[in-house]
Amino acid sequence: MRIGQVVFLLAGLSFAVYATRLRSTVTDRLVYLLLAGAGCVLVLYPDWSTGIAHRVGIGRGVDLVIYLFIVFSLFHYASGAAKARQTERAITAIVRRLALAEARPDSALRGEAGSPSGGASAALDSLGVPPVPPDRQ
Amino acid sequence: MRELVATRYETQLEFDGRSFDRPDVCVIVPAYNEGAALAGVLEELSQLPYRVIVVDDGSGDNTAAQAARFDVCLLRHVWNLGQGAALATGIMYASALPETRYIVTFDADGQHTVADLPRLITALEKEELDVVLGTRFRDGAVVSGIPLVRRLTLRMGIAFTRLTTGLVLTDTHNGIRAFTVNAARSLKLTQNRMAHASEILSRISQLGLRYRETPVTVRYTSYSTAKGQGSIGAVAILWDIATSRMR
Repeated sequence: MRIGQVVFLLAGLSFAVYATRLRSTVTDRLVYLLLAGAGCVLVLYPDWSTGIAHRVGIGRGVDLVIYLFIVFSLFHYASGAAKARQTERAITAIVRRLALAEARPDSALRGEAGSPSGGASAALDSLGVPPVPPDRQ
Repeated sequence: MRELVATRYETQLEFDGRSFDRPDVCVIVPAYNEGAALAGVLEELSQLPYRVIVVDDGSGDNTAAQAARFDVCLLRHVWNLGQGAALATGIMYASALPETRYIVTFDADGQHTVADLPRLITALEKEELDVVLGTRFRDGAVVSGIPLVRRLTLRMGIAFTRLTTGLVLTDTHNGIRAFTVNAARSLKLTQNRMAHASEILSRISQLGLRYRETPVTVRYTSYSTAKGQGSIGAVAILWDIATSRMR
């Protein structure tokens, strides 16, 4: 196995570990800065890319830059997905809270069927549910 | 965001005089754009003595209006979150009611048979079980009109479940499930969309809940087949499961 392939596998593995365990907003930003810094260096000193590429077993310096860009894209995806997940969690919490607060109980819970569930109102209160729908007070 | 919140409900119910002999059993019916089928389902359910909780998952049609005609608890998501989220909302509401001892989930599209419910409840009451899962593929179960591609996808789902949870089941994606209220509370579902079915099973396995399958009758009508998620849905489920470990 060429060293380039080994590096690829290690990179893939460490990304998986990163995405499932180590990732946080802080680490995302550190990675961004690191990769951006590497990108700047390679722009300022393009000959360095060929040297490093040969050392790692990659043909051209351009290929190295491309691979670094792929790595950057993976981290960018993980970071974006994490934000999207946070947003979805927030939306879920809000929509659920609203659903519970505006719930219309059936007639038994409202006390109309002659069997008022007094205990129910206390429990529903803890959920933020008014015992009688707001429009019927 | 649609202006669903402003709707007020009529006090005059069209179907009244329901018996509430078993308010300790809550039937949760998550519904998304099921305006056509829901009335029929709720009419059948009102023959039973159980409490019914309909969760309208941000429907754009008359689902909520249909549900409001019946003597049921009605919860509405202002935004569509997914069947898993609708179930979680319903479970949260049901388990907050002090009378509740059993929670059953039931589909709104008319696929499930209301007559199967008493058997699920009896199994929970009489046997030492936390969960009873409905299955289409055991002896005594009646399956009519299931498309071949769907059957194959379900087979793969069964193998996947055995691999990931260790549970050996004959049906891994059946929406009719009965729980004791404590078991339902302990599920703490996080998957909003269709991956919730896999999440329920892996939680059962993680928590070591006592479970059993029981045959149920499922009707595949042209309505429900057209509406149901295709086998492409399996890709979305796998994706959700794979990315659920990401931080």
